[in-house]
Amino acid sequence: MTNLNTIDPAAVLDEGKFGGDDVVIGKSRIILRRFLRNRTAVAGLAIFLALTLFSFIGGFFSSWDKETIDPFNIGMPPSAEHLLGTSQAGIDLYALTVEGTRVSILIGVVVGLVSVLIAAVYGCTMAFFGRKVDKVMLFILEALIMMPALLVVAVATSGGANGLKNTVPSWLLLIVVLLVFSWMGTARLIRSLSLSLMQRDFVKASQYMGIPPHRIVWRHLVPNIGSLLVLEVTRGVTGAILAEVAFSFIGIGIKVPDVSLGVLIGQSTSQVSTFPWMFWAPLIVMFLLTGSLAMMNDGLRDAFDPSSSSVGRTKRNSATGKKQSGKTQKKIK
Amino acid sequence: MLRYLAKRALTYVFMIFLTTSSGYLLAVSTLQPALLEQERIPRPTPEQVVNSFRLKGLDPTLSPWERYVDWLTGILTRWDWGRSPNGAFINAEFGDRVWISTRLFLASIILTLVIGVALGVFTAARQYKASDRAITSYSYLMYIVPAPIAYFLVQLGAININESVGERVFFVTGISTPGLDGDGWAQFVDMLAHYAVPTFAITIVGWGAYQIAQRQYLLDNVNADFVRTARAKGLTRNQAISRHALRVSFIPVAQSIAFTIPAIFAGGFFAEKIFAWHGVGSWSIDSIALQDVNAATATLAYGSVIFAVGAILADFATTLVDPRVRVQ
Repeated sequence: MTNLNTIDPAAVLDEGKFGGDDVVIGKSRIILRRFLRNRTAVAGLAIFLALTLFSFIGGFFSSWDKETIDPFNIGMPPSAEHLLGTSQAGIDLYALTVEGTRVSILIGVVVGLVSVLIAAVYGCTMAFFGRKVDKVMLFILEALIMMPALLVVAVATSGGANGLKNTVPSWLLLIVVLLVFSWMGTARLIRSLSLSLMQRDFVKASQYMGIPPHRIVWRHLVPNIGSLLVLEVTRGVTGAILAEVAFSFIGIGIKVPDVSLGVLIGQSTSQVSTFPWMFWAPLIVMFLLTGSLAMMNDGLRDAFDPSSSSVGRTKRNSATGKKQSGKTQKKIK
Repeated sequence: MLRYLAKRALTYVFMIFLTTSSGYLLAVSTLQPALLEQERIPRPTPEQVVNSFRLKGLDPTLSPWERYVDWLTGILTRWDWGRSPNGAFINAEFGDRVWISTRLFLASIILTLVIGVALGVFTAARQYKASDRAITSYSYLMYIVPAPIAYFLVQLGAININESVGERVFFVTGISTPGLDGDGWAQFVDMLAHYAVPTFAITIVGWGAYQIAQRQYLLDNVNADFVRTARAKGLTRNQAISRHALRVSFIPVAQSIAFTIPAIFAGGFFAEKIFAWHGVGSWSIDSIALQDVNAATATLAYGSVIFAVGAILADFATTLVDPRVRVQ
């Protein structure tokens, strides 16, 4: 990989092409443009935003809420009155799905963002100070990876007579536990990438110039691992949503009366053949959620990568001789 | 080499000690088996409960620290991991559980790794062709499906096959048919019928991650200088990839294998629950539901040991494939 501080002729060309002349385009605008050029990614973002919107205002389109029991329609298939049918308890499934989507998105976004933030601070600190600090912090990291998260989730959400689970809602408890056990892998990755960046000439040069550490981290480390950070956020959100579904599916994690997609799916598995709509409706919402995030991943990575030569679909098609697209030019060393 | 491995092993023993100890202290201060005893009929008096627990070495009147010291001396002097509230010995049960888990996962792990890495190389060599797109899309699809739901769907599929054939081809739960007599062949067929569905389910869910990783790392290396040099020396593209690029790109994959094998074992409890194989994973969850401190800690220790073995194996594999790594 070339020194990233040198001007990439391809990037200059691209900027010239889109600016019309040789004007310099702001970094955020370049990122936005690169992202918008990837149609799959934009579609993913649209689906994700639509689902988020749906989870907040979806409740207004139905006269039922998640607590009202309809005694005349218990375990009924979808009809005009109940858009997605009702559960065995006679509660409108549409209202439950809206509520469950909101809880799942909340868990995913909070865990995804905060865990990457923790991992970035931790990983960069390790790489920047090195030596003893690095050794001790790595030891703590590996010890935490060793702790099986599952066991702690189970203890925290079902643990005996401690007052914790009665005073704190189960979704909040699950967020905390997922947070504690989700950042270590990312932190390891960020550490190894930052370590190699610390060896680069431009970081060494700025160190000799006497630039303070936080500025080096912010100006040189963060932009170079930026694509990874963004990628880890979307991956973290996906991972948290999947973890919530998986834990709730087998009965630890979110507890009734709190609703989430995992709870809805888990509750309905025993009678899939008799009440199929109870299983498939929340499952499809979950697929849309995780699928839209996966679609965004690739576009985000290209948009944030400083060494990316991706200009989206147009260039990939025109560059016939060159099979390699910008997607794979990012080198992880 | 041996000295290096011994040093790493020593670090991990210390780490296992720390995680197990903190796990025990966490469990002993939150889990209260005495509450479950209250649900028995006839309800025992608190004195009876305390007495019965004291006999099993689970005295609830002692402080967590005192119990920790007792528990630790038991392990260090007699290799005795204690007893469950119902009187069962952890040591005896542990062996059975580990054997069941190993049988469930061993074949799947090997299949997952071989298929995943092989397909990763295959797709990287055919980047953006139809086969690459199909296989990689499938892997991304698996990435967004929670494992228990995928297992459940496979199970549903197997049930559908059974129904449409009209007889029981696959067993979707359990390890073997109880009380089955017959010769070795009948036993073998019975075993296959029980193994097929879980192994298939775990494998098809698992290999996606390895395929994506192997493809990505290999593509990163295909255009590296040393591969170009190899081409310039007259090697064909396939030779250059298999002799030079493949070795380097396998290093990060080997590292990730080390960290996913423990995850498969520990996370395997989704599979164990759904396919009703009562191995270590489901034991760990059940033991928490039953407020069983010693069993929960034993499963935690087992998970840590597996992790340490995986990490050391990863280091070992890295030194084997990577000529740049020198072990001091």
